Amino acid sequence: MDWNAILEFARGTFFQVALLVFVAGMVYRLARILLLGWKPNRVTAKGSRLGGVGMSFLKGAIIWPFIPWVKNTASRNPVIYIAGGIFHFGLFTVILLGTAHMLVWKSLLGFGWPTLPLPIVDWLSAIAIAAMIGLFINRLINPVLKLISGPAEWLNLLIVFLPMVTGYIMTHHLFFRYEVLFSLHMLAVDVLLIWIPLSRISHFMFYFFSKAIHGAEFGKRAVTP
Amino acid sequence: MTEPTIYQHLLDQGLSRREFLKLCGVLAGAMGLRCAAPVLASGLPAHLVNDNASAAEAVAQALESKPRLPVIWLEFQDCAGCSEALTRSQSPTLVDLVLNKISIEYHETLSAAAGFQIEENKQAIMKKYAGKYALVIEGAIPVADDGIYCTIGGRSSLDLLKEAAAGAAAIIATGNCATFGGLPKANPNPTGAKGVWEIITDKPVVNIPGCPAIPEVFTGVLAHFLVFGALPELDHLNRPKTFYAETIHDRCLRRPFYEAGKFANTFDDEGARQGWCLYKLGCKGPTTYNSCATIKWQAGLSFPVQSGHPCLGCSEPNFWDGGGFYQGQSAPVIRPALAGVGVAAIAGVVLGAGVAAANRAQKPRDAEKPVAAQQNSAAKE
Ligand code: HEM
Ligand code: SF4
Ligand code: SF4
Repeated sequence: MDWNAILEFARGTFFQVALLVFVAGMVYRLARILLLGWKPNRVTAKGSRLGGVGMSFLKGAIIWPFIPWVKNTASRNPVIYIAGGIFHFGLFTVILLGTAHMLVWKSLLGFGWPTLPLPIVDWLSAIAIAAMIGLFINRLINPVLKLISGPAEWLNLLIVFLPMVTGYIMTHHLFFRYEVLFSLHMLAVDVLLIWIPLSRISHFMFYFFSKAIHGAEFGKRAVTP
Repeated sequence: MTEPTIYQHLLDQGLSRREFLKLCGVLAGAMGLRCAAPVLASGLPAHLVNDNASAAEAVAQALESKPRLPVIWLEFQDCAGCSEALTRSQSPTLVDLVLNKISIEYHETLSAAAGFQIEENKQAIMKKYAGKYALVIEGAIPVADDGIYCTIGGRSSLDLLKEAAAGAAAIIATGNCATFGGLPKANPNPTGAKGVWEIITDKPVVNIPGCPAIPEVFTGVLAHFLVFGALPELDHLNRPKTFYAETIHDRCLRRPFYEAGKFANTFDDEGARQGWCLYKLGCKGPTTYNSCATIKWQAGLSFPVQSGHPCLGCSEPNFWDGGGFYQGQSAPVIRPALAGVGVAAIAGVVLGAGVAAANRAQKPRDAEKPVAAQQNSAAKE
């Protein structure tokens, strides 16, 4: 099989299509949500909406997530808290500060930035992969999680997992020729890009919206957590 | 058979027995790669130098018993760069002996004769050595519009190729153009350029890609055919495995810096001066199969990556269309145009708004139902 031809497709046409589907899909989701509109609300506000939003972000996205005893998740399901946290940290470091990935951003955005040495990125991705396996097992054995996991949830895990492992194996030049793994990595990334707007992985964007909306509601009622 | 053997032919050319045996050693080295004179000259570490005495004996035996191998060399959509590389290669003994003394019969750039005279000569050679000559092709073959975009003596290259291929014992395509279409085939490929093996499918075609092909690799393959009367073992792209089994990256002297994440960011920064990895400057070494990093160029003096330039991937199919030469290999091949992204975004908005409107139109009562009131009362509790 001519893997360089497959690679060309995966880095070229398919990536292009996947990227456009991703953009169109995310904008579509955003438009749908914004156009749901706000229900007219005649209750007088008891507190500051903006304050609520600020608090919600502090708690949900900036400081509190890193202080375990503030988070319910930490005590209720420590695996999700720890493995989930490590996974997200590893993922973002790898795709923002890995050299190969920075070059992708550079070609898309027109500017680049300094990157981390390969061994550091490498360890982080290894840890992120381990964390994903932890999350998978947790989902398998936790009775509540198991109950609410449909095919989409398992697919989410798989589709995020594939770029991670193929990237890791490629960097280590294991098992297959480099261009084979590069092709698989790119195909996995392309599939991920298309899958994101269709799935709950879109939380990377909507998370901030839901934080804002919850925060505003809490703030209005002066029950800011 | 009255035809003189190669050995006799060489003696006629004034070679001594001693020189002949030396040549056999060089040839054996060229085929097995390790002991080639230029590689030796570059000061290859001792552990890489094989004892090829027995191989040289085999070569000597073959040359003593085999007749000359006539070679017909055709140029189509090319720049003669592969020929240039050969004639200027720094291993004169090898190239000179293989090409001049042993074989070349017809070569457009190198032959002294020209015009109808040489065309007639070619016809005569093809007839005389039918089924015995080796055919070397340099340059791509345009097939669009019946191949009119490249003609020689009023005949299309497509026609000439088919004619010459019919009587060839072996076909060797040299350089990226003849193997994979090279520059002529680059997008949008107006002439419909193709590599030889896409056209000649009833005979094995050895591909020796590169821009140009490494002279020692070319002579090595020719020598193999000369000595063993058979083609060397080929990979899935018909490249001889001996020379194309490893990537530039596999054997790159900058590899430790790659592993350590030390990259040159520009051609004249500290990293470049320190000899760090050229990945960020667009190096295609990780996916490029060729012998540059081992045989090197100019008598083993250096090769592009060693001298500070990223590998362009010149021995891979479609390397002209594989993204910018100076753009990191991970960067997308096609950089999405802002307009395209804009269109995608607008499509998303329109679709989203459309579906939202349709939903609203479909459930008019939903909007009137006191959902809001319900919610409000719930909120009060
Ligand atoms: C356009 C998108 C992407 C491109 C072009 C790309 C390209 C690459 C390349 C070329 C490498 C190998 C680096 C090397 O050999 O040194 C790599 C490694 C890796 N990639 Fe990607 N990648 C992309 C997106 C992603 C995404 C979305 C993920 C995660 C979900 C990911 C996860 C990884 C991981 C974990 C590694 C291994 C890093 C290491 O072990 O050091 N990549 N990627
Ligand atoms: S310079 Fe190119 S071939 Fe050498 S290690 Fe870096 S990426 Fe690989
Ligand atoms: S280093 Fe790469 S671009 Fe340069 S000649 Fe070799 S294969 Fe071609």
